[in-house]
Amino acid sequence: MASYYKKLKKDLEASAGAGLITPEQAAAIYDRVYGARPFAAFRAAHWIGAAAGLFVALGVILVVASNWDRIDAATKMFAFLLLFAGAGEAAVRLDGKPAAAVPLEMVWFFMPIIGIGLYAQIFNLSGDPIKPYLLWAALATPAALLSRRPFGAYLCSILLFFTLYSGTVSHNSVLALTASRAADAQPLWHWALALAVLAGGVAIYPGKKLSLPLGASVVWLFVMLLADTAIKVRSSALILLSGMSLAVLWLTYGSEPEDDKAGLALKTWLGAVYATTFFWHYKGDGYVNRSGADTAAGGAIAWLLFAGALLSVVFRPQRLLPAGGKDDMPAKILLAASMLCSFLLFDANEATAKALAVIANLILAAFGTVSIMSGARDSSEKQINLGVAVLTLTAITRFIDIFGTMLKSGVAFIATGLAFGALAYFVNKGRKALIESVKK
Amino acid sequence: MNWKGNTKYLRLVLGAQLFFFAGWGGWLIASRNTDSPEFYLETEPVDPRDLFSGTYVALNYGISSPKGGRCPRRTRDLGRLFVKLEDKGKKAVTSAGEVAVYEAVDCHANPPQEPGWAKAEMIYRFGGPVAMYGIERFYLNENDPRKDARSGSVLAKVKIDRNRDLVLLDLVEKF
Repeated sequence: MASYYKKLKKDLEASAGAGLITPEQAAAIYDRVYGARPFAAFRAAHWIGAAAGLFVALGVILVVASNWDRIDAATKMFAFLLLFAGAGEAAVRLDGKPAAAVPLEMVWFFMPIIGIGLYAQIFNLSGDPIKPYLLWAALATPAALLSRRPFGAYLCSILLFFTLYSGTVSHNSVLALTASRAADAQPLWHWALALAVLAGGVAIYPGKKLSLPLGASVVWLFVMLLADTAIKVRSSALILLSGMSLAVLWLTYGSEPEDDKAGLALKTWLGAVYATTFFWHYKGDGYVNRSGADTAAGGAIAWLLFAGALLSVVFRPQRLLPAGGKDDMPAKILLAASMLCSFLLFDANEATAKALAVIANLILAAFGTVSIMSGARDSSEKQINLGVAVLTLTAITRFIDIFGTMLKSGVAFIATGLAFGALAYFVNKGRKALIESVKK
Repeated sequence: MNWKGNTKYLRLVLGAQLFFFAGWGGWLIASRNTDSPEFYLETEPVDPRDLFSGTYVALNYGISSPKGGRCPRRTRDLGRLFVKLEDKGKKAVTSAGEVAVYEAVDCHANPPQEPGWAKAEMIYRFGGPVAMYGIERFYLNENDPRKDARSGSVLAKVKIDRNRDLVLLDLVEKF
């Protein structure tokens, strides 16, 4: 960070030297930026004070730790309650001073799990590993929601999603949704609790943009469809259909209209289509079907997801490409195609699987091309780079996994290079034409 | 009304959190001090360390696979179960002299209101169904030699509280 301020000072002095700004302006800009740095209000005395406090605290912790076994249970519990009350009250009193309130709120947030761990140690408690996390979230959430800062709510949301993921994939917890070997299915109330935790994680998330919590929910649902749960799907067709539909739903509802990019949701959809290209090597459902058949609930969910995603593609503006209305139709076609091609896997054989892989390659090629053209039209270097990256990755993957020999791969590389050259020529020509039309 | 940063509500939440921990702590102390007989259980210590939880001995028990009476034989019978613990004459020698080692003699989902029934949760593990009593960890100092206890070398001193939960009081070396 110090090197940034050094460089800034040097650049400002150079700009003043070149006559771009006056030396006074350069000094004023530097003072303003330097004054706004983190911990700007901290003077040497503050740092020394903080170090002193840290040393004393560490010393107290070590002294207490060395005498831990000699301290009786009631004293440990009373000391914990005192610390808890102190941290909470200090956070409330210093609410208006962020430098103190933020770390104090963090300490307050972690106090419940420290207490649960302490009681477990004192009373030799054991059992379901998920219950302490649920209890922690239940105790910490009200304070996080009441705080005027978002940190506690972020942590609560992360905690709830962590608990959801770790609890539902386990066999023996209060949130377990995957079946124990040779045992009956998990009870329905586990599902109710898991869905409540999921809803809590999404609702508590403080950001205005829903992309991340929606993405975490979508990935969780897909994991539940893949795992040995009451909603498992095992046929390649339903797995692909549900996965692709979830990716499309995330892309549709996870980004705000004013966003200029769809970010992680877009990369996930691209990843899903890219993964589909490997169906070229499909040899049947033998591997995935080994762990049983599709469940009725899983099948119903897969079809519902598909119906929802298809309706969303038709009736909602799409964020696949950032150019707004101009590229809405190509985006809708690409998204619908990515889902509909899953139908080739119903009663699939090697020929239909190969057709699916070819379509997936074409979708990627079309996305790359439209992305480059859209980026050239809107002067978005980032969009052009994304299109080039998708085309390059697709081409290189195919050279490696299909063509194989050096001669064939060499010819394919030359052909792709020429295609890129032609594309660059037409993109540049189109851009110039656009500039000319604006000038007229 | 603005809830965010409201001092009154924040203090109410803090009070509720403290009340919860004070109440839970009091309940745990009361459970430990329940006026019920203390007895010993045969243990099979396994995997004595955990980076997150501190130093403890993970304990399996002879009663973790309850046999006899109406105890379940099918692997599908998971969930809540009560196990009857009784002195069947098995003895062990500790520093306190010869002590009786209790064993499981019966199981029931709704047991009669009589002493000796302990609450368990039947779960599935790799080896089959296992009864968990909530006494499967004993926390100790990292210098305590009992952390390296071998199977059969220590006994768990326990009692049953008012809610029929087993309470782990101590880990005692056998002679």
